Amino acid sequence: MKLDTERMHSLDTIIVGAGAAGLLLAARLAETGRHVTVLEAGPKRSTSDLISSQIWARRLKWSGPHVEELGDHKVGHAFNAGFGTGGSAVHHYGVWLRLHRGDFSVASDHGVGLDWPIDYDTLRAHYDSVQSEVGLSGDAEAEIWRPEGADYPMPPLPIFAQGRVLKKGFDKTGRRTAPLPLAINSQPYRGRAACQYDGWCDAGCPIGALANPLVTWLPRAQKAGVHIEHNAFVNRVLRDPNKTSRITGVEYFQAGERHTLHAQQVIIAAFTVQSARILLSSADSNRPAPGNQFDQLGRYLTSHPAGTVFGLFDEETYPHQGVSGGQLISHDDYDQKNQGAAFGSSQWLIAHAVKPHDLLGYGTGRPDISGEKLKPWLRDAAKHVGSMTLVAEDIAKPENRISLSEQRDVNGIALARTEHNLDARTAQLWEQRIAEGQDIMRAAGAREVWHGPRVAMHIMGGTVMGNDEKLSVTDSYGRVHDTENLYVSGPSLFPSSGAVNPTFTLSAIASRQAEHLTKQAD
Amino acid sequence: MALATTRRRLLTGGAALSWFLVNGSWLHISAAQARAAGFSPQKLTGEQCKTLEVLADELVPGARAAGIAPFIDSQLTAGDASLLIAKYLGVPPEQQLGFYQAALDSGTRLLATQDLSAAFAIELISKDEVLNWQGAPASFFSFVLRADALDVVYGTEHGFEQLGIPYRAHISPQEPW
Repeated sequence: MKLDTERMHSLDTIIVGAGAAGLLLAARLAETGRHVTVLEAGPKRSTSDLISSQIWARRLKWSGPHVEELGDHKVGHAFNAGFGTGGSAVHHYGVWLRLHRGDFSVASDHGVGLDWPIDYDTLRAHYDSVQSEVGLSGDAEAEIWRPEGADYPMPPLPIFAQGRVLKKGFDKTGRRTAPLPLAINSQPYRGRAACQYDGWCDAGCPIGALANPLVTWLPRAQKAGVHIEHNAFVNRVLRDPNKTSRITGVEYFQAGERHTLHAQQVIIAAFTVQSARILLSSADSNRPAPGNQFDQLGRYLTSHPAGTVFGLFDEETYPHQGVSGGQLISHDDYDQKNQGAAFGSSQWLIAHAVKPHDLLGYGTGRPDISGEKLKPWLRDAAKHVGSMTLVAEDIAKPENRISLSEQRDVNGIALARTEHNLDARTAQLWEQRIAEGQDIMRAAGAREVWHGPRVAMHIMGGTVMGNDEKLSVTDSYGRVHDTENLYVSGPSLFPSSGAVNPTFTLSAIASRQAEHLTKQAD
Repeated sequence: MALATTRRRLLTGGAALSWFLVNGSWLHISAAQARAAGFSPQKLTGEQCKTLEVLADELVPGARAAGIAPFIDSQLTAGDASLLIAKYLGVPPEQQLGFYQAALDSGTRLLATQDLSAAFAIELISKDEVLNWQGAPASFFSFVLRADALDVVYGTEHGFEQLGIPYRAHISPQEPW
């Protein structure tokens, strides 16, 4: 075991997971003098590991024990989750958007899903402070749909040929667009370089222009003395046998050996599915798992139904240029959640930098073109394709849940199992919007239009926050209801999904948690 | 430059990627070089490799020469570190060998018993119209194999060059594939 005895006896906080939420908390807590250790399931990574290749980049995705997936809208854990320092935020696209006000009250307003125990105003200051620390580029004034908040610290990224071509389709169909707000530097920011617009975001950004945790929270955490133990796969939290509300530490496996680590406080930030798995695995024959007194643990699993619409144009679009997340955004339909047979918010992320291959590549999405026709078509697409992605809201439902499988990994730990089915209203929303997206592409002048399949983008819920212990797992600060010192952080706290990419919101929540925990200790 | 090594060195180095057994020596070469040099597959049979090349080259011309067979075979030895796209499509590493073996055996039977052209075989496979197809649905296998072939032919600096796309790596891949 690499951890020394002194560290074990003086630990204030164990954080499970070295992703966006875990490293933010580690940095902030350690900067107040706390002794913090982070246990990360995957390997140690640095920016020099971020090779510009879609094939190499697959090593950034989840490579831990398999997650069993069931349902008509499987959550795609192997694609969405990360593995190693920085977690999934190492391969995220840096699309940082705030939830809209209405996202916090879908149950009260529309009778679906769950309300959040907090509102937008509760998170606003944390959105503002995090965007200042991390660095966001955008045009707040142009985002007419954006909730109130501080202006972005950097101007937006430039709009390239593809963005200009696709914008015509939105203009002609009466839809508004704005520069996409991104956690990517449009100019040097706090010692980090500006973007070079080469479209390798998905493979991780080694120059540090994209705000992944390796260049934002990790240096701060290391400077403040945080210790990160890699390849440490946490099985369960440990409870005080004399006081079940008190968590004493965690049990983890490293290189096949079982270890325990103890601290005054434990924060589980292991991404949605693994966070729920760790808590579920912490039940014993006498007691339900922490947070599961009312059988809520693992429930309300959500994932954005997404789909990409492609168009092939006569105009040159140069789709290799730009950033993976896109150049423009449209939220025109976002606040009209209730639409009869369809329900939910949605957004368009417009003009992605794309490659010819890989799951999101334009070549992969056209199985009808093969053989001798393929190369000429790819050469055409390499200069003339445009793409945009629909992100739609998922309705949080209790039957969509994370549970434990009967199957076990090499260490004898139960695998996680997910079941996720789309509500018919959500499926209808996706169909409607994808049809509209194809109309937009045609209006932009595309000579060929097609779309990819419905896919699961982002994974949320499972340890949802709430005021009612019978309908949630944690309080609004992420403290597990029936414990004193066990917290959860990350997108698993989201009671409802909204339709925006979750990293900004999970970071704002983690910022609020850090503030709360610091005040609590004072 | 090709580098001969021992199997022990290969395993301790953790570099299952782009190491291929050729004439009794482990060589650190590209998949295309391994194919040209007559690599010895570790997981797939010679017959399965042959079918793999026929089908993949029909889907994406150039896949055979780019080393589709050594690429997939080497990834099937990588365990959790497998970089095959199947991982994202509901086929975890521990199931990938069975996934490819079942489909390739079905493909071998299809090509042999009906003396079909590769083009017609692909048409039947992509439409799920193959009798007694074993394993995952044929159309799904076709989708995955096409994506694999795109990886080896066009997912490289050389592949980008063929399509007229500037690669513009921030950190260039060490391996030519």
